[in-house]
Amino acid sequence: MAGGWSGRILDVDLTTGQIGWRDTHRYTRDYLGGRAMASRIAWDEIPDGIDAFDPENRIIITTGPLTGTLAPTSGRTVMSNLSPRLYPKAWYTHSTLGGWFGAEMKYASFDGIIIKGKSPRPVYLEIRDGHARLVDAGDLWGMDARQTQITLKERMGAQAQILTIGPAGENWVRFATVQHAEDNAAGHSGFGAVWGSKNLKAIAIRGTNGVAVAHPERLMREVLELGTYKIAPFSGALYTSLYTKTKTAREHRPVCSQACTFNCQVGNYGKASDGRRIPGHCVGGIAWMTPDFLKATRYSGGGVEIPPARNFGMCEEAELHELCNSLGLDSWFRLVMQPWFVRCQQLGVRQIRGFAFDPNDVLWFEQFMRDLAYRRGLGAIFADDLMRAMDELEGELPEELIALGRRLEFAFGFPAHREGRFWDEEPLPFWVISAMMYASETRDPTIGGHHSSLLLADFILADREVSRRQFRILSEKVWGYPDALEPTFEHKAPVAIWSQHQHMLIDSFPLCDFSFPRIIVPPESREEWLATEDLTGDLDIDLRLFAAVTGIELSRAEVFLIAERAFTLERLMLARAGRHRQMEEQWLAPHFMLPCRADGTYIDAAGFARILDEYFAARGWDLEYGWPQAETLRRLGLEDAIPALEAYRRDRTRLITSESPLAVHLSS
Amino acid sequence: MGLKMGKIRTNASVCRECQACTLACSLYHEGECNLSLARLQVIKDMARYEFQILICQHCESPECLAACPSEAIVLNEQGVAVIRDDLCVRCGACAEACPYSVLFYNEARDRYLKCDLCAGRPEGPLCVAICPVGALTLEAESVTEEA
Repeated sequence: MAGGWSGRILDVDLTTGQIGWRDTHRYTRDYLGGRAMASRIAWDEIPDGIDAFDPENRIIITTGPLTGTLAPTSGRTVMSNLSPRLYPKAWYTHSTLGGWFGAEMKYASFDGIIIKGKSPRPVYLEIRDGHARLVDAGDLWGMDARQTQITLKERMGAQAQILTIGPAGENWVRFATVQHAEDNAAGHSGFGAVWGSKNLKAIAIRGTNGVAVAHPERLMREVLELGTYKIAPFSGALYTSLYTKTKTAREHRPVCSQACTFNCQVGNYGKASDGRRIPGHCVGGIAWMTPDFLKATRYSGGGVEIPPARNFGMCEEAELHELCNSLGLDSWFRLVMQPWFVRCQQLGVRQIRGFAFDPNDVLWFEQFMRDLAYRRGLGAIFADDLMRAMDELEGELPEELIALGRRLEFAFGFPAHREGRFWDEEPLPFWVISAMMYASETRDPTIGGHHSSLLLADFILADREVSRRQFRILSEKVWGYPDALEPTFEHKAPVAIWSQHQHMLIDSFPLCDFSFPRIIVPPESREEWLATEDLTGDLDIDLRLFAAVTGIELSRAEVFLIAERAFTLERLMLARAGRHRQMEEQWLAPHFMLPCRADGTYIDAAGFARILDEYFAARGWDLEYGWPQAETLRRLGLEDAIPALEAYRRDRTRLITSESPLAVHLSS
Repeated sequence: MGLKMGKIRTNASVCRECQACTLACSLYHEGECNLSLARLQVIKDMARYEFQILICQHCESPECLAACPSEAIVLNEQGVAVIRDDLCVRCGACAEACPYSVLFYNEARDRYLKCDLCAGRPEGPLCVAICPVGALTLEAESVTEEA
């Protein structure tokens, strides 16, 4: 028996109130599900030339064949549409979240939801076992994300699962989230603002059906064998004792996704003032676990000075984190805005447009978060995100502050992430791989699995020679040549492309990118690691889980072709928005001219052009625009996109200008 | 000394609602992943961030068995009260009689469901094996033979 997909995708038009559905299997053979499936829907249906707040922008919510099953970490949901956070203009990107919503959507018999239009008044979408309706949300509008969920659960039962926006989304804050449960969010891409622009407050689902599984015994065996499967440790893990001291899964760590049985190390509990436990993951959870966590925002190099943001203390951090989730703000705003305001103070700037600020005062910070969500005072300026705030304040503040703000969100409006300069420590060659990905992707990338990049970087930082010896064996096995991870600038494109395809698959089955791909087996200790020659992990767990659930046996080559097809469609969406190689080079190169905080390495403009040449050539994309060649599209079965792409090449007026605000600061 | 299947002890305070237990339960018994077909339920109260694990307590004198008018609840070889679906008349008397509210009615299938400790699985109940936090543990009852 075939299993996995529910078979239907819900279609909702908020303008007309019409609701229908389409067959999921239109997409499953060529796109599997999740992010890959969404790329096809977006290319076919999001009109050319519109802004993120145009009613014609879509909200595309997808799951994959594994969602709702016992496959570990599969309870994920993928969201994709034009993002208002992107700078200088909106383009298509995605955001994924864990939790329980995607699984409940499958149990309600839908693999996805596609929403277009704009409702004349606030509504929420209610789905119960195959039936959907729009419900007036006048009473929910203005309510925070947590209370909205509690209210809807009172109406539909504790087992209903809900996605909702908070006040930030209602007020079109460009980094507003779509929230779910306590701590899950489609955060980075500002999709909450798109919901707000459509007058969509929430989606509430209750489903009582199941997901069919082709080979139940095989799935059970795979899952039992994986057990609590240790995922990769933290950054810094190998050269501190943190990893070996980390509590085990049996010591009450929160889980962030249905069907996650793994020993995740990025989840922690804080405590609310009413005594409730508050689960928090990644930035939120780590902030209250590690008192000096925010010190990592400090950076000094290449003429850029970034002071550390301040941790406010365990209880305060837990409260702030919950407030962030309730207001529906992407918590990453803090990692760029707090140090930016600290630098303002250091330079003697005490107020902006008459508004005083003190970023190291928890009460001020709390008020600032509320002001962001409601676009009041200073919040009104920064609610359009740091890049746009810098445009707004240019000429009023010292040039250094404007430049700093732009540096911190150099990635077309996304905060710096995994590029070895500001936040995470990626030494050569990892930041080169990262640079290739920044230049080609719709959003800030993560190398390999979410964690495996950091883990491998840790190895270099822990012992350069030991890791290089291990990497040569690993590289030969994974990429087919030994110098894939040598600390050089050459021959890194295959690793970047492999990572991008792995990520596409993780987001399409879907699985968690903290756990997959299992490129290495995490060692128990530094001693064990030093004694290991071959680190290589098990890279086919995803295919085995997929086969057990769907009954379809696919090879790595076959799924990589699917991943490449979808990734190429995402690139076509960027071409449609006017993103092109010259612009990417001029916007990104200045950032990678800064020295890497881990090892001091950097690259000049000519070197940056060389790594992009290598990458685009390896992709089968042209070197002028960095867009797919016609033969590449034909190889992927995307012939139908060739005429559109040729039209984009002929029309230079649609290209985003190459002039980067960062380059302006460099030359001044 | 003989060993009798015991009962599953729950510790909801460590539960994280991963639902691995319920998914494994429905996969084992029904061949699909379906929370509504599981023999146990995990429910979160979001307002209080508290969890509830509902599963048969395997009472020594099962009131469900006593309440069943059609003798559809019987003790199997391990002494576990199980539902014989072919005899069940769907009256709901068992669920009403249960002091722990852990007999579940599945409306779509028109069936009553009850934990059978994975009868026939030699390694014991799957939910216990798969729970990553030890919220479910098997308490094996040792029956000492009279000297």
